Amino acid sequence: MATVQMPDPFAQVPSLGPERPVVWPARTRRKLANGLEVVLVESHTIPKFTGELYFRSGNAVAAATAKTPGLAEITATVVRTGTEKLSSRQIEEDLRRIGADVGTSAGADTSAIGFNGLTEFSADLLNLVAELARQASFPPDEFERERRQMIEGLRIARTTPSFLASERMRRVLFGAHPYAIIAPTETQVKEYRLGQLVEYYRAHYTPGNALLIAVGDFASPQMMEQIERIFGSWKPATVPVVPDTTLPELHGRHVHLVHLPESVQTQLVVANHAITRKHPDWLRLALANSIYGGAFNSRLIMNIREQKGYTYSPRSGVHALRQHGYFSVNAAVRNDVVAASLTEIFYEIDRMRSLAVAEDELSDARTYMSGVFSLGLATQDGLASQLSTVYLNELPDNELETYRQRVRALSATDVLAAARAYFDSANAQIIVVGDRGQIGEQAGLFGGVTEYSAEPE
Amino acid sequence: MNELHIPLETTKLENGLRVVVSPDRTAPVATLGVYYNIGFRLEPRGRSGFAHLFEHMMFQGSEHAGKMMHIKLINSSGGVLNGSTHYDVTNYYESIPSNAVERVLWLEADRMRALKVDDENLRNQRDVVKEEVRVNVLNQPYGGFPWLDLPPIAFCNWANAHNFYGDFADLDAASLDDVQQFFRTYYSPSNAVLLMIGDLTPEEGFALARRYFGSIPPGPPQPKADVSEPPFEGVRRGEVEEKFGTLPAFAVGYRAPERRTPDWYALAMLDHALHGGRAGRVYRQLVLEQQIAVDTGGGIQYPVGDLFDYNGPTLLVSRVLHKPEYSPDQALEAFDAVIDAVRQHGIEQGELEQVKVKFRSEYVSSLEGGHGASIPRYGLMHYLACFTLFDNDPSLVNSILDGFLQVTPEQVRTAAQLYLDPHRRAIVFRKPTKKAAD
Repeated sequence: MATVQMPDPFAQVPSLGPERPVVWPARTRRKLANGLEVVLVESHTIPKFTGELYFRSGNAVAAATAKTPGLAEITATVVRTGTEKLSSRQIEEDLRRIGADVGTSAGADTSAIGFNGLTEFSADLLNLVAELARQASFPPDEFERERRQMIEGLRIARTTPSFLASERMRRVLFGAHPYAIIAPTETQVKEYRLGQLVEYYRAHYTPGNALLIAVGDFASPQMMEQIERIFGSWKPATVPVVPDTTLPELHGRHVHLVHLPESVQTQLVVANHAITRKHPDWLRLALANSIYGGAFNSRLIMNIREQKGYTYSPRSGVHALRQHGYFSVNAAVRNDVVAASLTEIFYEIDRMRSLAVAEDELSDARTYMSGVFSLGLATQDGLASQLSTVYLNELPDNELETYRQRVRALSATDVLAAARAYFDSANAQIIVVGDRGQIGEQAGLFGGVTEYSAEPE
Repeated sequence: MNELHIPLETTKLENGLRVVVSPDRTAPVATLGVYYNIGFRLEPRGRSGFAHLFEHMMFQGSEHAGKMMHIKLINSSGGVLNGSTHYDVTNYYESIPSNAVERVLWLEADRMRALKVDDENLRNQRDVVKEEVRVNVLNQPYGGFPWLDLPPIAFCNWANAHNFYGDFADLDAASLDDVQQFFRTYYSPSNAVLLMIGDLTPEEGFALARRYFGSIPPGPPQPKADVSEPPFEGVRRGEVEEKFGTLPAFAVGYRAPERRTPDWYALAMLDHALHGGRAGRVYRQLVLEQQIAVDTGGGIQYPVGDLFDYNGPTLLVSRVLHKPEYSPDQALEAFDAVIDAVRQHGIEQGELEQVKVKFRSEYVSSLEGGHGASIPRYGLMHYLACFTLFDNDPSLVNSILDGFLQVTPEQVRTAAQLYLDPHRRAIVFRKPTKKAAD
């Protein structure tokens, strides 16, 4: 009797089919007469739309020109608490009535009014966004409350190891540049005057300084018409320019220890200067980072998490601000393996700098970058975030359409060159946040040590 | 306006594995998940934290895909993956370009069929989990507040009341035998559902499911577990030291009704009237108007679960961080006044109508995303899984909104009186050991 051998479906890993094409959604871009730049993309996944009204000014310009760190942030916070027509309570209840959310915020380079809501109420929501952008009334009692909220928020942040590590890293890398400061001190917050917020708002919340991105379930021509109607009468104004400052030159490795008494874990950061998003090496560096520590199966994570169990969630990243960028490695590790973890972090950095990546690892990493990019196209939020990167950084209009193809073209030589240029092993700055008594000696093996208190300067 | 028509096709394999496919051609990607009907509520006694530690072990190797292969194969296909442990379910999911669907199913089926791990893997992941607990709880201001603080005060049954992240001694005691035993007991096709959402057809999905999962033995019937709680009596109070933050805080837990009962729909609307962002009554009163609190939040299963993803006793939680110049009793009194007002007067028709629009809007957003832009349709996957495992009806994802939108102001008031009872609740206080400098 003949036996029929069924093939075992588990004998081999199924191969990948060919990468499927992306159907690019229609994009409409227009600059209104008052200078407001508008980008619209249709995405009919749900009966909603989402977007951001960006202003190309943030905490960096506030720190540089008005010597008030955090001014852009407190301004954004108070913007949502009242307009010439609406009280704080009316704003919040209006948003609930139309099923919408608004978030006002500021980073180093931008201030933003983010929004999302049901398409059926799009006119109401856009009118509210326009009112916040043009007619915020800065009620004094709302300002005082938000000032206190900010102080309490800062006090909590100052007890968080990851905040303390980021704060120190930015000071070390950026010196006199406003990017050095990620948060104001309590004293600085206490010295804010309402007039400074109003002045900042008048100077920077202007159409010529703004970019409006909206993605969602709408017809672009009608949406553009609606936006012109709502934002068209906004008066243009000249926008202050942010001066650039040179960065400190960092020679040799140095350890910056932030003493956090009785900490049961140590937050490590290794960082150096890198590049902006506009730099021609950006994609090469992003690929090198993905191989080093940017993906779950990257070298660093396989080493210090999956083989050695030193840490839960190590990660490396390339971070682009408008004028400068940096590369950083983060890991929260057990106190007794601080030296062991730093040894592996540098071992993996040096390996990236010395040896070309093998073809299969390179190809896997390219597929990863290209695949994760495609995932971002499936949601309204994902699309909005990719469009923001393009237009805030003044990248070419076809940046997204050509992205997967450009990733596929990267070579092992590109990766090696990027690692040699931007993983600056010899001059890396090491930040350790933890209990001096438990980790000081280990950290001192990696360079001269400067110690800091966790209290603000 | 309220009609949802998310396409769904379902089937059940002979071994009991339920399969749900929801096609969506927005982008050439898919989100796949396997949900097991087991969470940290049912981990073995003396093994607190085990369900979560076990979840880590599911990434450590299976029959045909050894250590690191799961992670490597998904990332190198252009996808991302993760898993998470909840009260009553544990999930494993991947978002990938759609040309990798078959490969993901191969991996998921391989680890459902046979987990292959050793002592070295267990030691490694135990270390990783301890660092996870340190970074999220032990070395963080307000770590574990209130999700680890409330259950031991609010519940009597160990299943509901224990430390779900795990005591380190219990994590140390976990053995490889425990791992295999847990796997054999709960990780069988008849105790699971497979979800496939995105760029594929139901026919493709079902054929692949049969090919890779079809021959896995069904597994033993599930042991009957008792997660019941005696009726909630009295006010239970507890205190936990806050080593980092300088603001005093408290959280209140009220027992919530069973899912999909009329009371549950009404309480969900009340919850949104209370905790729905800056318009919610608790935030508006305590933070914006009286300025006693600095932050508030709350919800059913807050902050580690939501309205839909539980299947046993749970709490409606409210959390308040307040200014140190107010005593905890003063802050609690202000909170109680907010609750007392809805118990006495309910909420107004207009307020309820606003809450319904906002609820509907948030619900559809959570279906589309729900977990950041890198996991499209996470929320849809999550709810489909819960409606399948708990209710045996994935199509509830399209119809569940109706129940909320039909709630009347009278039902909200009744729910407030029944459930937000000041004489039957748990309260935990976080007491800062450091004083704020001023």
